[in-house]
Amino acid sequence: MATYEARSEVTGSVWKVVCEVGQRLEPGDTVMIIESMKMEIPVIAEDGGVVKQILVEKGTPVTENQPVAILEVE
Amino acid sequence: MSAGAREPQAPAESWADELGELRFRREQAEALGGPEAVARHHERGRLTVRERIRGLADADSFTEVGSLTGQGRYEGEKLLGVTPAPYVMGLAKIGGRPVAIGGEDFTVRGGTSWSGDRKKGGQGGFVEDLARAYRIPLVNLIDGAGGSVTSIQRRGHSVFPGVHGFEQSVALLGEVPVVCAVMGTAAGGPAGRAILAHWSVMVKDTAQVFAAGPPVVERSLGQKITKEELGGAQLAVDLAGTIDNAAESEERCFEMIRRYLSYMPANVWELPPVVETDDSTERREEELARIVPKDRRKPYNMRRLIQLVVDRGSIFEIQPSFGKSVITCLARMNGKVVGIVANNPMVYAGALDVRGARKQTHFVELCDCFHIPIVFLVDVPGFMVGRDAEAAATLREGMRSVYVGLQASVPMYTVVIRKCYGMAGMGATDKNGLDFKIAWPSAEWGSLPIEGGVAAAFRREIEMAADPKARERELEAELRAQASPFRTAEAFGVEEIVDPRETRPYLCRFIDAAQARLRTTLGPKPKYGVRP
Repeated sequence: MATYEARSEVTGSVWKVVCEVGQRLEPGDTVMIIESMKMEIPVIAEDGGVVKQILVEKGTPVTENQPVAILEVE
Repeated sequence: MSAGAREPQAPAESWADELGELRFRREQAEALGGPEAVARHHERGRLTVRERIRGLADADSFTEVGSLTGQGRYEGEKLLGVTPAPYVMGLAKIGGRPVAIGGEDFTVRGGTSWSGDRKKGGQGGFVEDLARAYRIPLVNLIDGAGGSVTSIQRRGHSVFPGVHGFEQSVALLGEVPVVCAVMGTAAGGPAGRAILAHWSVMVKDTAQVFAAGPPVVERSLGQKITKEELGGAQLAVDLAGTIDNAAESEERCFEMIRRYLSYMPANVWELPPVVETDDSTERREEELARIVPKDRRKPYNMRRLIQLVVDRGSIFEIQPSFGKSVITCLARMNGKVVGIVANNPMVYAGALDVRGARKQTHFVELCDCFHIPIVFLVDVPGFMVGRDAEAAATLREGMRSVYVGLQASVPMYTVVIRKCYGMAGMGATDKNGLDFKIAWPSAEWGSLPIEGGVAAAFRREIEMAADPKARERELEAELRAQASPFRTAEAFGVEEIVDPRETRPYLCRFIDAAQARLRTTLGPKPKYGVRP
């Protein structure tokens, strides 16, 4: 088992967390949505996996490349 | 005869001895720095320069120049062996077309510079002369640290910077395609030369590039840093954009170089090669009609959109991991090479930031230089805003991008997908040519987006309203109705609005028609003025 961090590509704030700890995501699924430049920018689980930890909550400001969730893949 | 030693021969009736010596000297060259040095090089996960040239060029196409260069070891008049010059180069073919190709041999003195009567490679070397004189692409396989202070001992004096200057390297950038691939650790001159390229690539994990390596950094700044942290692909490609693309392996790097060159003409006096395609110019993709969400806050996949418009399988993305608010790629339409510049709504809504602007500037210049028509797929809300953006000089780098776009004279097509606002939007137009702008029904434009603009322009009216929020929304709705792209099309302020599914046929027809202009405006492009 290996873990990886899902990171926000943009500076903005967390608009909506769309997964829960323990949830299994497919590669390409959305982890959460960041509001930036008046747009809803998804953070993608590139390799899918099980959500181990969510590091931010709705409204949290995030910066570019900031880890927002930790996922575990087999 | 041990160790290949050669006895001086009396005059003979045949040239067998001389031919034997030539063969022996060539064997010495083939052996590079010797089996131990080659083994060490392989242990580092790297190929030798000869393996690289063989791996990259068409089979059996490499014709070496300067194979006998090096330092002969003699005992009296007996030749014991030759330490080859640490640079291998010559003429080869890639995709059936000739190229000048060369690279440092790291197994000989770490690929440091060598002083013969004439330079083989590097700035001002024969390989550059060959590319320029024959007007063929140049491929530099870089794996060397440049100069060494030991040359002071050898020469008895220190060399003034630029004795072997970059002037030929610079001139080449206006005449023939130059590809630089960083295959090992490059510092100093070789690192500088890696940047003097139309397109550059480096190998992940085994290649690094920097002005100076960790020992110099530690002495100068007290920073302890590994060479991978200082100049590996993560920094040099993804973060800094110093090098354009990263390759997973040397073999993958060769594939990428071959692919890149397939889009390039041999020189600026020729057009890029046209390939046969079985992808119909009339292909209309249904997915295009629904790819842009009606909800303006929702982004979409611009890379997918590009795939649906250009010839199938024809995309080669330049700088995919840097400046991600802009997507730049070479592609084909009806077999003809085009450059695509697309804003990426997934990253800062496609706003042009410093990195995206720098990437766009270089790509537009590349296409203009090699007479490659540009298609702008526009969805740009403007320049990036905020303190970080201002501190990074977004305005200056953004206007540089606009300036370069407005100077370019290659045919350009503006296709407004959604937003086209402000100065960043202006930079996506063909002001030197037809200024031909087509739009999708989802398009919107102006000097600034309505949302932010209403709050500023109607501040007093909004503040005085009974329900300021409601009044702001009303004003936005009123203005948005008037800002319909169809109204601008009525005034011929945009030349056509197309059904998104018609984008490919529409562009293919105009790009086909532009070939006459392209054929009759070949040659180098003079540059004038001062970039902001």
